[in-house]
Amino acid sequence: MPEKPIQGEKRVFVTGNEVVAWAALAAGAEIMYGYPITPQNEIMHYWTRMIPKYGRRFLQTEDELSAGFTTVGGVLAGRRAFTATAGPGNTLMQEPISMAEAMRLPIVVVVQQRGGPSTATVIYSQQEVTLTTLGGNGEGLRVVYSTATHQELFDYTIKSFNTAWKYRFPAFVLGDGYQAKMRESLMFYDPAERGIEMVPTEAYVGRPGMPGADRPPTHMRNTYNMEEELYEVLQGYLADYAKAAPEIAEHEAFDTADADLVVISHGVVSRACKMAVKELREQGYKVGYFRPITLRPMPEKALREVARTAKQLLVVESAQGQLDRLVKEVIYGSTAEMLPLFKPGVGITSEEVVTRVKEIKG
Amino acid sequence: MTVQPAMPKCWNVESKPHKFCPGCGHGLVLKALGQAIDELGIQDKVVFGCDIGCSLLSWDFFNVDTIQTHHGRTNPVITGMKRANSDIIGVAYMGDGGGYAIGSQHLVSAATRNERITAILVNNTQYGMTGGQMAPTTMPGQKTETSPYGRDAETTGSPTQGPEMVAAIAPEGAYVARGSVANMKQLKGYIKKALENQMAGNGFSFVEALSLCPTNWRTNARDTWKFLEEEMYKYFKVGELRVPGPREKEGQ
Amino acid sequence: MVAIGPRIVEAYVGEYASGKSEVAVNRALDLAAAGRRVTLVDLDVVEPCYTLRPIKKELEQKGVSVLAWETRDMVGLGETGNILRAENRWALRRPGDIILDIGYGVEGAKTLALLEDAGSDPDLKVYAVVNIARPMTGSVSGIVQYIRELGRIDGLINNSHLGDDTDLEIVQEGTRVVGEAARELGIPVIAVTAVAELADRIGPADSAGNPVRKLVRYMPRTLW
Repeated sequence: MPEKPIQGEKRVFVTGNEVVAWAALAAGAEIMYGYPITPQNEIMHYWTRMIPKYGRRFLQTEDELSAGFTTVGGVLAGRRAFTATAGPGNTLMQEPISMAEAMRLPIVVVVQQRGGPSTATVIYSQQEVTLTTLGGNGEGLRVVYSTATHQELFDYTIKSFNTAWKYRFPAFVLGDGYQAKMRESLMFYDPAERGIEMVPTEAYVGRPGMPGADRPPTHMRNTYNMEEELYEVLQGYLADYAKAAPEIAEHEAFDTADADLVVISHGVVSRACKMAVKELREQGYKVGYFRPITLRPMPEKALREVARTAKQLLVVESAQGQLDRLVKEVIYGSTAEMLPLFKPGVGITSEEVVTRVKEIKG
Repeated sequence: MTVQPAMPKCWNVESKPHKFCPGCGHGLVLKALGQAIDELGIQDKVVFGCDIGCSLLSWDFFNVDTIQTHHGRTNPVITGMKRANSDIIGVAYMGDGGGYAIGSQHLVSAATRNERITAILVNNTQYGMTGGQMAPTTMPGQKTETSPYGRDAETTGSPTQGPEMVAAIAPEGAYVARGSVANMKQLKGYIKKALENQMAGNGFSFVEALSLCPTNWRTNARDTWKFLEEEMYKYFKVGELRVPGPREKEGQ
Repeated sequence: MVAIGPRIVEAYVGEYASGKSEVAVNRALDLAAAGRRVTLVDLDVVEPCYTLRPIKKELEQKGVSVLAWETRDMVGLGETGNILRAENRWALRRPGDIILDIGYGVEGAKTLALLEDAGSDPDLKVYAVVNIARPMTGSVSGIVQYIRELGRIDGLINNSHLGDDTDLEIVQEGTRVVGEAARELGIPVIAVTAVAELADRIGPADSAGNPVRKLVRYMPRTLW
């Protein structure tokens, strides 16, 4: 019996990509499928180095279409399977992800955002929000966690397997090139020792017994003849999603109750916003901080409350309004003034956020 | 007396010295291509497409219209271009990943449809630009970033035999060859024939060029050539695999 | 500090994110501050855009010659991956001290093969930088196994830290663990590195008598 990759808990110093590989190991992920694309390559580099010791598997596929479809296959076989990608690879992944959405398959995909569109930069952005939350030709029936620290990359990579297998929607960990390469300390732990029980997997196909005799055969499809059939299926999915959403949605916020301006951000940019808001409060500005941790489903109740009381909402992102769009959909009807700090593909510092708030406040 | 560098006329002097690593084979393959273009006098007709990876460093290499595409998509882009304007001489340039992994379906389709384009694929047995991951052409036992203990042919297959595959499926009129930067005269000859084949409108033309990557092979000059001529030659045979015969009219 | 003496040629190797660049940068600055002529060479061929490039000007102003790509040379190269700079291959032919920052990668120490004369330079020393807070080199056996795979190593450097959460304990634990691994490998520990505040608390040498090198952190600036 191969040993556990992490025993007890230990404080370590690693890069974001390594965190993902270790978290997947700790979560009991059995197989990774992947294709090289910067900036997530080290997830594969570390996974391939460690798996002989822990009895896991890996396949480098011919491209991301295949990486996505082989992950679908791995999940159909009843294994915790995952893949990782970025940028143009994420664009390709949308086809297999659509199949997973259509058939309620619990794939886990880690996305390390880079500049877009097309090849753009290999470095960083928050420009894959629309793609990751609402990509493909469906209704966005997915769970997307946007992490901001290495500890969260660890926690949420483990959690995404559980969320995927419990609710049977594709689950994503949305990081970025900065998080992927940055070095930080965090606590590695064995989930079992923290009371985290891994949701058991089950095979969709290949179960024991003679199909048609010992057990019914499994017949799975993602195509329908009539519009009404599709409609019925989707109504069922949408109901499941709506029921699960409040259980899955997460956010982080402070100083919003009496704030007249609330800064809204996600992922690594929220670190800068957190610092900025604290600094502004010390200087007497009545500002608040709101950060959705799940971009799908959005934390609707909490966000609507913020939009009800604040007069101004400043959306800060390294994209041209992709988070902004998701926020607006949730808070439609609010009379709060929406203000942007959009820097597609470029990092944002706390100084820039402070300057922008002061500029708004006059 | 000044000594002129032996640069092909169609090369873009402004982008020299080029960005490829010292010892890289790309410079040699592009020299062979440049010489062929010069000898055929087609500089103003060629449109050059490059892939992602180290081949993308050739985007401003020539005084020839160039389009950098997506990974593996150079064949379809050049195909589309040629179909829309057959006066263009389309050259699709890619690496082993762009041709045999993500671009393999496009290579197969271009071959079976006998697209009148010239595809040149640079084989250096790994993914260079992204840090040295395994490629379809990585050899058994070869250590890369995603085969850290050496490629296991049992579980990950053997090196892709690209020209052999294209030769097997392409219709009559195709030209297929594998050359090597260790024999520049021969490589240039193959590339020239591959261009002439397109100009004659015969069919799909494909040349794989065995190349060098000392950076990711972590080899000094001597060991780099050794790796090509002793190791790579074990798996990849140099020569012409398909040369079009005289064209026969349909029905005769 | 460091007297004018024989030529110093040091290659810093080690695991991904072990601190090779930080240690190499600080070593080059210390040598320059002592009035020595020194060149710092970026030989990271897996992640070149995340190492010395952004701090090149600052280092040059402090008297260190830096062989690394300029940002503008990389313009237009979307993938900006690993391209070996031609001048860097010939670094060992330069006069003065040479500090080499060797990137990671499978068989990373083999990168030295790309350096002309690496096999024959009489002054070259290859030092492996180890941080026990990193999982692969977190134990004596892990370090021993890793170092054995690296090829020729002349010395170990204990660079154990947890970034912003570093305390004295991790450095001292590093002394113990790296020391034991060094004994098993038959390779000396040639220094322990720590940020200035901690270095001052340790003193000029740690409990095992290893010389302490003070580190000023430059590398966090190379990403954002």
